[in-house]
Amino acid sequence: MTMTREEIIETTIRFLAEEFEVEKSIILPDSNLQETLDLDSLDYVDLVVVIEENLGFKPTAEDFQTVVTFNDFYTLVEAKLKEVA
Amino acid sequence: MLVSKKNILNIIPQRAPFVMIDKLLVANEVEGFKTSFQVQQDNVFIENNIVSEGALIENVAQTCAAGFGYVSQQKGNNEPQLGFIGAVSKLKVFGVAKSNDELITKVSVLSTFDRVSLIQGEVECDGEILLECQMKIVIT
Repeated sequence: MTMTREEIIETTIRFLAEEFEVEKSIILPDSNLQETLDLDSLDYVDLVVVIEENLGFKPTAEDFQTVVTFNDFYTLVEAKLKEVA
Repeated sequence: MLVSKKNILNIIPQRAPFVMIDKLLVANEVEGFKTSFQVQQDNVFIENNIVSEGALIENVAQTCAAGFGYVSQQKGNNEPQLGFIGAVSKLKVFGVAKSNDELITKVSVLSTFDRVSLIQGEVECDGEILLECQMKIVIT
């Protein structure tokens, strides 16, 4: 799957807002992903499922070690999509 | 059958009177996990000859425990895997189980992240689905 960063951001905001029932407007590049989506340790498996469904790859716990903000998350997605392309 | 009633306690941490599975029938990546359970009249979850919905949820959880325990045992670990139910969602109850019914329970692992597995479970009796749900199981 080839996507530009803008496409990644647009797609990601759409499915994250829908899955975690938050307003799209609060998903900002420098916002904290865990706090904004109100994720607890059990919610990450849901996050993995929607990423797999919408972006076609399955992130691991190690992948999330560098993710704090949504920008970090977009960078992770970009790297993973290049790997699977 | 992979594990008989006689040996089922070797792969699950639950003990009487809370054991809600008898036999492990299937445990593989393609078909998932499958168990059977004959409801006895003295089952602790029976009231007015009806098995509580909570017991069927426990039956799904123990099917997970058996499947994970079996897989772990195949890898050389002899202790049952300890775990707990983190969440239950998308629960639908279509019917009830009674004493002497045989329950067939199927579980498929939808995804795993770290020590949390999201599973889909289904309890059947005489070919009819009694209950289905998703569950987050945390393996400690």
